[in-house]
Amino acid sequence: MSEFRDVRVLTEAALAIALAFVLGLIKFFKMPEGGSISLEMIPLILLALRQGWRIGMVAGAAYGILDLILDPYILNPVQVLFDYPLPFAAMGLAGLFRPSARGAVLGCIVAVAGRFICHFISGVAFFASYAPKGWNPYVYSAAYNAAYLVPSLVIALVVVVALLKALEGARPSRRQREQARPAS
Amino acid sequence: MVGAGRTFGRFYPAVSLLHELDPRAKILATAIFILGIFLVGSIPGLLEVAAALAVLVVASRVPPGVFLRTLRPVAIIVILTALFQILFSREGVTLFEWGILQVHEGGLSMGFFLALRILLLVLAAGLLTATTSPVALADGVEDLLSPLKRFRFPAHEVAMMTTIALRFIPTLQEEAQKIMNAQAARGASFAEGGLIRRAQAFRPVLVPLTVGAFRRADELAEAMESRGYRGGEGRTRYRELRFQVRDALALAVAALVIALGALL
Repeated sequence: MSEFRDVRVLTEAALAIALAFVLGLIKFFKMPEGGSISLEMIPLILLALRQGWRIGMVAGAAYGILDLILDPYILNPVQVLFDYPLPFAAMGLAGLFRPSARGAVLGCIVAVAGRFICHFISGVAFFASYAPKGWNPYVYSAAYNAAYLVPSLVIALVVVVALLKALEGARPSRRQREQARPAS
Repeated sequence: MVGAGRTFGRFYPAVSLLHELDPRAKILATAIFILGIFLVGSIPGLLEVAAALAVLVVASRVPPGVFLRTLRPVAIIVILTALFQILFSREGVTLFEWGILQVHEGGLSMGFFLALRILLLVLAAGLLTATTSPVALADGVEDLLSPLKRFRFPAHEVAMMTTIALRFIPTLQEEAQKIMNAQAARGASFAEGGLIRRAQAFRPVLVPLTVGAFRRADELAEAMESRGYRGGEGRTRYRELRFQVRDALALAVAALVIALGALL
């Protein structure tokens, strides 16, 4: 991909992935069947806002693969895809928005919604192969995943604008220099 | 919380045939096991796969306790799955009845079958990560994904990012701990108040941590450029992967174990 020709973009994505993993270890609350309220999404959302959706999605998928390499929980082949690379690739959706305060808020919401859809599908697939007949997998999966993703979204919204501003001051990306202010 | 110098991942270094196999062979063999376990439709079949995995655990020279630890997080899922089946299934002969509680033969065997299946899936993945270092896994994933380059999937970039990330996780962990300690010394508390209060308490930690990480990225890019890094084309590795006869044999054995299990 031509976007990665710039080594700076590649290393920024790599460090964002590492930071996401480290922040993922700081858990506000851990769910019994995987998933937790944590800060792990924030660096990936910031990367997408700074470098665009394509790099955000590739880096997100790479984060998912890293997570799979380090700590795999495989209960169903469909679930692997929808629990590891795809939900974090969805973080890249934040890059569809401008790297401004408003874009950051919208980006967070869309990215987390994308992640929710992936985990929701995975939950339904899991339940389809393990739950007794007659249980409703849709309601359960939606409730379970919303239980940690909604609080995680709230946390992201509280900090992401400040972080984007701080990075714009210290290390503005090309996208930030060109698009941070709405064109008038 | 983040402990400085805490190890991450599940790799357990030891000298064994399993550790020495090509990571690509191990990833493929694990994929065969995981997909294959879903083809195994009976309890004797699963027990045969379990016996094969037990042999591999012994052969890996990794203490069994390491694997037991990887099973712990799924314990709740296993217990709940088994309980739901045992209590709510109404198939087969009634074995036990007490008020509205009914245990049927079908539920009991289905509960055992599903619990065993989950444990075997987790164990198969655990064998791979215990015997293969994260960097070797990243190299293996790069090679296995490289056919996707034809569809413009950036396999090399993904592997490169993963490898760099692995290198910097301990560094950033240490930095996070230092900043959190510094903030705690100033009286910051990260475990009090509601969600928003706690998120706000993390802001003075996140800003220096994030800016620091992105600054490191710039420095690393400069170092890589000055050494002539120009992407994946024609890049060589310090440790070349070589697929040997024993790797092919490992794949054949995995396929055989699954085929036997599916027939039982």
